[in-house]
Amino acid sequence: MSAEPDRTGTTITQVLYGVENAVKLFSRVVYGANTAIDICDDDIISHAATSHKIIEKRVQEIGAKFRYITEIKNDNIKYCKELMKVGQVRHLDGIRTNFVVTDTEYSSSAIMQQVHAHPETVYSNVRSIVEQQRYLFENLWNKAIPAERKINEIEGGIELEKTYVIQDPQSIQKLFVDMVKSVQHEVLLILPTVNAFLREYRMGIIQLLMQAMRERSVNVRILTPTNDVIDSILKNIVISYQEGERRKDFNLRSINMSPEETAVSTVTIVVVDKKESLVFEKTDDTKENFIEAVGMATYSNSKPTVVSYISIFESLWTQVDLYEQLKTHDKMQKEFINIASHEMKTPTQAIIGYADLIHKHPEKREDMMQSISRNAVRLQRLTNDILDVTRIDSHTLNLHKEQFNIGNLLAYIVQDYVGYIEKENQNVKLFYNFKQDINDPLPIDADEDRITQVVSNLLNNAIKFTSKKKEGVISVSVERKKEEVIVSIKDTGEGINPEILPRLFTKFATRSFSGTGLGLYISKSIVEAHGGKMWAENNPDGEGATFTFTLPLSSSRKTIMFSRKDGR
Amino acid sequence: MAKEKKNKILVVDDEPDNTSIFSMSLEDGGFEVDAYTDPLLALSMFKSGHKKYDYLVLDIKMPDMNGFELYEEIRKIDNKVKACFLTAFGEGYTEEFGRRFPTSTNVSFMRKPIRVDDLVKKVNKMVNT
Repeated sequence: MSAEPDRTGTTITQVLYGVENAVKLFSRVVYGANTAIDICDDDIISHAATSHKIIEKRVQEIGAKFRYITEIKNDNIKYCKELMKVGQVRHLDGIRTNFVVTDTEYSSSAIMQQVHAHPETVYSNVRSIVEQQRYLFENLWNKAIPAERKINEIEGGIELEKTYVIQDPQSIQKLFVDMVKSVQHEVLLILPTVNAFLREYRMGIIQLLMQAMRERSVNVRILTPTNDVIDSILKNIVISYQEGERRKDFNLRSINMSPEETAVSTVTIVVVDKKESLVFEKTDDTKENFIEAVGMATYSNSKPTVVSYISIFESLWTQVDLYEQLKTHDKMQKEFINIASHEMKTPTQAIIGYADLIHKHPEKREDMMQSISRNAVRLQRLTNDILDVTRIDSHTLNLHKEQFNIGNLLAYIVQDYVGYIEKENQNVKLFYNFKQDINDPLPIDADEDRITQVVSNLLNNAIKFTSKKKEGVISVSVERKKEEVIVSIKDTGEGINPEILPRLFTKFATRSFSGTGLGLYISKSIVEAHGGKMWAENNPDGEGATFTFTLPLSSSRKTIMFSRKDGR
Repeated sequence: MAKEKKNKILVVDDEPDNTSIFSMSLEDGGFEVDAYTDPLLALSMFKSGHKKYDYLVLDIKMPDMNGFELYEEIRKIDNKVKACFLTAFGEGYTEEFGRRFPTSTNVSFMRKPIRVDDLVKKVNKMVNT
């Protein structure tokens, strides 16, 4: 056994024994380097004393490129930092190898621990062996992470951000389950196919999520395609969950779009607590078992990566929501058009019919003309209302606001209606409760015509529902409450049918002979467009109903005269 | 002068203006017409069997009982009776119509608003086939 490698120019591979030889060999190899020194070391502390000075010296002498891989831990950080001044240092978890390879030579200790009495050291300058070792070193180097990051993690106590690929199905499954079990705040889940949902259901993931919701108030959001089977599974789950529990958010949105329309159709994405993401592929969606179906997975706790998956989830989530809203909206539009066209055809039929018949029936001309007029007016009201509704719905209702005193306007309208009631011999009495207080005018910034429209609508309704009674009373009152005016119209009529009450302010909720069915919807929309509210309730004494609306008082109080500008 | 046998038409529409117009039109066209705005009343009159009708002109959208339902009930009494349905609605009812009456020999369909002449022509055609 020679004590030193043969440097006569021949290529050899040999084994040397003993600590002393090991150390000598190391320094020989380092000193033999010309351009590069690459070292893998699993025990930096033990070797620091002997090897670091050698390395430092040689690197400085020849300006060689020095690279060093070790497992950086708390106890060896300072040595690593020393070496970082000499060359590049990287960290590799669980490294268990020791060697040095230069541009020409390779040396490795099988075990270089103090405890071993006779370490064996291998040396070679055989070109192919050296190149093999350089190749191995490159691979380890590429797997390793820069020392700075690891040191930051250790010193800063922050978790190292990593992204890595997992090939083994069992590991993927375990990781998936562990992630779900460990969730504290929120889980986002995208499932690509119906089978994926069923696989994960069988695996127990859904149950784990329900448990997390129950026990830790975790927010769970799932995007998944569904079918009847899944729908019934979910129904059972949600039922059993909702029984007696405080309901936290279990939000499941079904992707009812075709796979081409959705952004994700082949992978499952799981994001936990906005910190970790797991994305896995399916190799065979027909398999019932998760292990058999799953392909590769990518795990990441690196913020940029996780955030990108969150944004995929959020945009798909919103997209599904918008799609549903759109469908509902389309459906409602279609319904409205159907009903509106039906409503319009009714008076149109009457006008056309009588117009056709009037020639053949001159004796009935008076009656028919009246019917034609009546229906023409009805049609006109309806078209106006429909136009108003379309303006409201498309947010193009233009309000021409001016400042005026609401009390005055109401007085004027009531006066008009009193006259109308007398003329029509309606047995209804109309009262207006308002004490003009000079010190407390009620100015509002509003569209006078539109507010008139609202009040007229409410009064018309009140009269309609009260006229059937022997003696009906309608009272209009207005008062100020803080920064609002409150206008109430109370009648002693039939009251509101409790079945209709919830839909009272919707389109075509009630269709009476003289009404269009849109009046309340329009009135409420006008009031709300002014920043007010409108509601209705049956009177507590059981007789009739009260409709109320509020409007904000004008913020700039100009001096309001008690007569209107035009002297009314 | 022998009394001409007039065809008898039953008209049911919940709008009084419509029943007036359709009755007058058909009477002008030479038919004998009974008109009702209440489908339930019309049904009970039909059941009491005083008159036999050659043709029915029925509005579809009515409260209490719609035109299709009324027709089904009437068919239980006289399953050969022919009918024409009037509707102000669009495609929705044509679908339901197609479903309920896949073989449309005894039934037909008209969309409102209807011209007087068209109504008379249609009823003439259906009664005489």
